[in-house]
Amino acid sequence: MKRFLLKRILSGVLIIFISLLICFVLIHAAPGNPVTILAGHDNPSPEMIESLTEKYGLDKPLPMQFVNYLGTLLKGDLGYSIVSDKPVVTLIAEKIFPTLLLALTGVILAVVIGTMLGIYAARKKGSRFDVAVNSISYVFDSTPGFWLGLMMILLFASTFKLFPTAGMVDLRAGYTGSAKVLDILHHLFLPLLTVTLIQIPRFFRIARSSVIQIMSEDFITTFRAAGMKESQIFRDYVFKNAILPTVTLFGISLAYVLGGIVIVEIVFAWPGMGRLLMDAIMKRDYPLLMGIYLTLSVSISVTMLLVDIVYAAIDPRIRYE
Amino acid sequence: MSLLSIKNANVIYKVKDTEIHAVNDVSFEVEQQDSVGIVGESGSGKSTLAMMILRLLPKDTSVTEGEIEFDDRELLKMTEEEFDKLRWTELAAVFQKSMNALSPVHRIGHQMMNIYKVHCPNVSKLETKKRVLELFRMVNLPERVFHLYQHELSGGMMQRVSIALSLMFNPKLIIMDEATTALDVITESQILEEIMKLQKELKLTRLMITHDMSIVANTCRKVAVMYAGCLLEYGLVTDVIASPRHPYTIGLLKSFPNFKGERAEIYSMDGNLPDLSRLPEGCVFAPRCPYAQKKCFTCPPQTVTYENGRQVMCHFEGGNNGIQY
Repeated sequence: MKRFLLKRILSGVLIIFISLLICFVLIHAAPGNPVTILAGHDNPSPEMIESLTEKYGLDKPLPMQFVNYLGTLLKGDLGYSIVSDKPVVTLIAEKIFPTLLLALTGVILAVVIGTMLGIYAARKKGSRFDVAVNSISYVFDSTPGFWLGLMMILLFASTFKLFPTAGMVDLRAGYTGSAKVLDILHHLFLPLLTVTLIQIPRFFRIARSSVIQIMSEDFITTFRAAGMKESQIFRDYVFKNAILPTVTLFGISLAYVLGGIVIVEIVFAWPGMGRLLMDAIMKRDYPLLMGIYLTLSVSISVTMLLVDIVYAAIDPRIRYE
Repeated sequence: MSLLSIKNANVIYKVKDTEIHAVNDVSFEVEQQDSVGIVGESGSGKSTLAMMILRLLPKDTSVTEGEIEFDDRELLKMTEEEFDKLRWTELAAVFQKSMNALSPVHRIGHQMMNIYKVHCPNVSKLETKKRVLELFRMVNLPERVFHLYQHELSGGMMQRVSIALSLMFNPKLIIMDEATTALDVITESQILEEIMKLQKELKLTRLMITHDMSIVANTCRKVAVMYAGCLLEYGLVTDVIASPRHPYTIGLLKSFPNFKGERAEIYSMDGNLPDLSRLPEGCVFAPRCPYAQKKCFTCPPQTVTYENGRQVMCHFEGGNNGIQY
């Protein structure tokens, strides 16, 4: 297990390095750079551009720039945002909590609700409930998140005025303590509902199909022939076998949501990393962009590592030696 | 006295609008401590018959008719609760594909103890474990199997686990459904030896389902030949193999290579199993029967009983009409 962990962490570091490299190449290949944006549109001064280019080391060859970035990164320094001149760490730290709050809660809720619905549908296979939830799941699976978000705002915020349309806190109220928590929850509801609804179908379907598949396995016949009650068979044997694909999907989904939540965040003006990322892309803020990608790839690598460990704990057929 | 007596058993699978007659009017009796082999090709209804006796057929898609008397009780009329008490304690089974006989993500010992607790919930953990280890010894398995998972065992060892599991409560009847089919011939013959030894020691009655006539010839006292859901011939192995009376049995016996003798080409029967959703008017085997006459296509044959409880379902059995097989 120790050797596996070490190997897995090393490969995680390698993956992070490669994704950083790809990201670095891509953003530098995009037209424009932060200096021209800083210099302004109307009458940019060539001297200022030159001095800024030199200041941020953008005159050096690309491989050199990448090595320099890695060098400072290894010292634990993510650098300064070119546009706002604040440390990248501070900028990300301000925005990471709302993103994690939305993404993690959304995926966890989707896992719990989707899996429960899936198990129930599988046990009542062919029933009205099964058919109905199955069809609905396809609808939500093919709905784009931003559109669903807009519909939510239209329905619950604009028409019924049940929830706020945007933001994470009511800026004018200035709540503190438990009132603030309630206010955040109130703001969280619609974006969370959107993320959860988009994620539920995949968990529903994988739980449903794996329960149906496990129920038809030969060992279920053994337990039935032995006179074990259906409820005990399900509780003791079907569940543990059927939950394995869900664990895998959980890791993949979390990675997907962390990266893909941007648009939902923008629709709801949620003050998370999505907004930060979009701004950084628009302004070609290289250090900030790299910092955000680094955060995303580290959290995805850590999630995958955790999923692998959990998987090994549940399934004895997977041994890490 | 017979332990198991099956009378006019019928199983119909209902799939959408078609009805598939998987078992048709099968009747035979199994004596106490007897061993009966059921042979037939795939789709002949032998596994369905086993599942019918064990009441494991899917309730929503299958209909069963007839009577199955087991130890003076009518199995098909019992309530689910009554039958649950009988399961495994009196009526156990070893299923095909024993590599999947248990859950892959739980330890074998744990699962066996769990099954033991279904019928003996008040026995202590230690006693239960003792019983499981005793079962392992009976089928020549090492004790370490208790802590292993299914994928850590070979096919032969899993087969032994399945057999050990079926012996857990000293059942009266064991149904073995293609129990050794997946094994190599050497392991297969070892396990069959052991099964016969255990049968004697534990005074078991055994119903063995297989498509291998040689296994039946070597390990069973009686044989039932099934085809398209019908029982075509039933009787003592010695009688049936020495002088088969049904054309299908004759064909079946001819299709196995002779161990001694010369190497002749093995006989293969023309045609396929009939469509079980549209049973023929006459004899089910008539379309493939080399001796079929006009009568065979129009009128279903009766089952005739002879000496030693031998049953044959054929119009022209025993050369009544001068047909030479």
